[in-house]
Amino acid sequence: MTPDTVLLKISGVQKHFGAVHVLRGVDLQVAPGEVIGFVGDNGAGKSTLMKTITGIYRADAGSVLMNGDDITHLVPGQRRSLGIEMIYQDLALARQQDVSSNIFLGREPVKRAFGFLPGFVDKAKMDAEAQKMIDRLGARIPSIHRPVGMFSGGQQQTVAIARALTFNPKLVIMDEPTAALAVREVESVLNLIRQMRQEGIAVILISHRLNDVFEVTDRIVVLRQGQVVADLPTAQTKMAEVVSYIVGAH
Amino acid sequence: MRMLRTIAAFSMIAAVCGSAAAEDKPVYGVLMKTLSNPFWGAMELGVKEAAAEKGVDYYLQAVESDQAAESQLNVCNTMLERKPLVMITASINSTNLLPCLKRANEANIKVVDLDGNLDPEIAKKAGVAITFSIGSDNEAAGAKGADFVASKLGKDAKGPVLVIEGLSGNITGQKRARGFANRLKEVAPGLEIVASLPGDWDRGKAANIANDVLTQHPDLKAIFAANDGMALGAVESVFAAGKGDQIVTVGVDGNSDAVKAIKAGRLTASVAQLPYLVGKQAVEKVAGNLKGEAVEPFIYVPTLVLTKDLLDAGTDPQLKFVK
Amino acid sequence: MRSEMTAPARTWRRLQFFFETKLHVRMESLVVLLIFCAVMTWLSPFFLSRSNFANILLATSTIGVLAIGATMIIASAGLDLSLGSMLGLAGVVGAAVAVKLELPSIFAVLGCLGAGALAGFVNGILITRLRIPAFIVTLGMLGIARGLALIIADGKVIYGLPDAVVYLGQGRPLPDLPMPVIIFIAVAVVAHYILAYTRFGKHTLAIGDNEGAARATGIPVERMRLYLYTISGLCAGLAGMLFMARVNSGDPTAGIGYELTAITAAIIGGTNLFGGRGSILGAIVGALIMGVLQNGLNLMAVQSYYQQMAIGAVLILAVYIDQFQVQRGRKP
Repeated sequence: MTPDTVLLKISGVQKHFGAVHVLRGVDLQVAPGEVIGFVGDNGAGKSTLMKTITGIYRADAGSVLMNGDDITHLVPGQRRSLGIEMIYQDLALARQQDVSSNIFLGREPVKRAFGFLPGFVDKAKMDAEAQKMIDRLGARIPSIHRPVGMFSGGQQQTVAIARALTFNPKLVIMDEPTAALAVREVESVLNLIRQMRQEGIAVILISHRLNDVFEVTDRIVVLRQGQVVADLPTAQTKMAEVVSYIVGAH
Repeated sequence: MRMLRTIAAFSMIAAVCGSAAAEDKPVYGVLMKTLSNPFWGAMELGVKEAAAEKGVDYYLQAVESDQAAESQLNVCNTMLERKPLVMITASINSTNLLPCLKRANEANIKVVDLDGNLDPEIAKKAGVAITFSIGSDNEAAGAKGADFVASKLGKDAKGPVLVIEGLSGNITGQKRARGFANRLKEVAPGLEIVASLPGDWDRGKAANIANDVLTQHPDLKAIFAANDGMALGAVESVFAAGKGDQIVTVGVDGNSDAVKAIKAGRLTASVAQLPYLVGKQAVEKVAGNLKGEAVEPFIYVPTLVLTKDLLDAGTDPQLKFVK
Repeated sequence: MRSEMTAPARTWRRLQFFFETKLHVRMESLVVLLIFCAVMTWLSPFFLSRSNFANILLATSTIGVLAIGATMIIASAGLDLSLGSMLGLAGVVGAAVAVKLELPSIFAVLGCLGAGALAGFVNGILITRLRIPAFIVTLGMLGIARGLALIIADGKVIYGLPDAVVYLGQGRPLPDLPMPVIIFIAVAVVAHYILAYTRFGKHTLAIGDNEGAARATGIPVERMRLYLYTISGLCAGLAGMLFMARVNSGDPTAGIGYELTAITAAIIGGTNLFGGRGSILGAIVGALIMGVLQNGLNLMAVQSYYQQMAIGAVLILAVYIDQFQVQRGRKP
């Protein structure tokens, strides 16, 4: 990996909550189109690190660089516009809103109603784009006008994925995307990841399911007690080795 | 479907509880403040009996508290829809019903000010014509209270006196307090009003006020409250402090609670307003006026000081108007 | 599920869909309003007349404006218990400005709106900066604003408002169109537009639906909450001005208990008490349902105690219907 092909560079990031030091100096690099498996035991700091990347948390020390620019102090909205998207474990959907409202949440397109009233959300445009994205993902959703809370878990996740992909992201972080899915749905998520790699979108996959990690990732990074303890190319490691890093037996 | 049935059922109940106006008899609209004070209950009784005597129908409404000014205005507007011949109203403050009463004027509905709640100056300025105002002379009632205190304690008595006023800004309360204060100065100059505080017609508030003032002035000689509810509240504080036999307590209204308290020896006296008579005469006079009889603009119904002796003797002819 | 529906059920569903997605109001609420009107027409010969409808709208104006503020707050999963007290404070401030300071009418109006907005702003600051729960803050403001109103008015009612102010409450540009109704409708239209069709509105609903999701998508949650509580105060200020102008006095006891009525109107109209779903138009319909009920019962001379029971029953019924639909899979 040469310096100009680094998409995301995290150096020495630390984060503590009161007296609890969750991240103790994390270094990580992600290249465009790379799929990284991010693993570690509960409490290792995986979610915290991801939230530091998306901007929900601000790092106490260290830096986060995107394409060479320092984004450590940017708020989530700004980081989204730079192409960083995340699909949360709880999906972070507004369950009483419909599909297009969720996909465009926070960045709804506006137009002038009747030619002069300002700030009118362009629902027609939102609905059209949302339908396109849902079709592209090959998902079967009964109607994009229903509140998403009425959909099944897998369908809701499709909406969350659609939200992450609609604005041409460069990096997508997926937090336990397959944890609650049926076998067929898991396979479609893995296929999606492969497709994203083909389109040059980098993916950070947080998962407990090491089988999935071994199937789609290029590299596996192990986080333990707030520090990166291993950064291995997937092809050159085995599950037992990864597990031993996770539990600290290495 | 289920919902429709529930609504229909409730409407049936509501219809039974309400009263539809008969089309052939003349109809009067009566709007009171709230029905929770027995004073207004007695007034309604007077209205009811006079209406029966004169062969008129009436519908009576009140609101949930005597502070709900806007609600009362809304109810008044609604009552106009039934096009009564007369609107007899006891307004919560001096202005809240005026817009409605103006519309009554415009619809040729006569307006009667029940119990003198309207300020005639303010009403005139707003262009509202009142056929007549009937009530007790509240200033005279306050004065009678002062006379009673002087008679009980003696003209040369000295000491502190507490006055508990009505709802702030309410003209009835103001008149009673003023009547009492002015008269007391004349008949017992040694008695000094050390505090004159608004009790808002509220029993609890009055109890607290009495308590506080008693603490400051343990040698309190008398308490005058602008209505019975507040007087009874003050009485509780007085007895709780063990001064039941040392302090003269006087209320105004003469309602049934006060009568019981006087007979039981707790409240010393009440200047009975004879609300029964007010209600009765309001209907009688306006019925006469509708037939063409002249009527004075201000009608004062006499008051009667109720004491234990008077009630026990039971011979005073005006007692039959105390309900 | 669709194959089991009969043709009328399908039409019903299609209508429901239209009302919800295009007009942003629950069709059930409108149907209930119509049913109540029908029942009242049947029960009282005086109900169906232009002047009576004007009465209903007039009587609903003050609560309606308050319900607009309540809806915005509840939709964002907030709570404002101080609405009635802010109304009272605003009315007293406006009256004091006109009568005691003897300033022109425009300042009385600004006084009302300003007092309400300021109180709402204070609520917002305490809730978003000091992180005190909204229930506590607005409960405190309920007492503080009411006490302040009584202090400013010295416990009395302030009389003698100037004609221009009184016109706002009692003027009738058209015989059956009183000024308060015009003001109420204008504010309702603007507020409905904002909540249903603008980004601000969508973000408000998102915050109420899932605050974490809103934050993650970059919505400035604290700033929005501050705006919303200020807007709520502004609505209370406007309602206070309408009250003051209608009864032609600055009454420190104005609006006692009104916050509960406003919240009831919002919920009857389909706003989710826990946030995430709300409609201004729905709140208006909810307020009108209560207004029709009270008006009808007044026309039949039913005592106000029964009216209070009736409104309580309607509220429970409305929420039950909502739950009923949740169980049948109609909404989340």
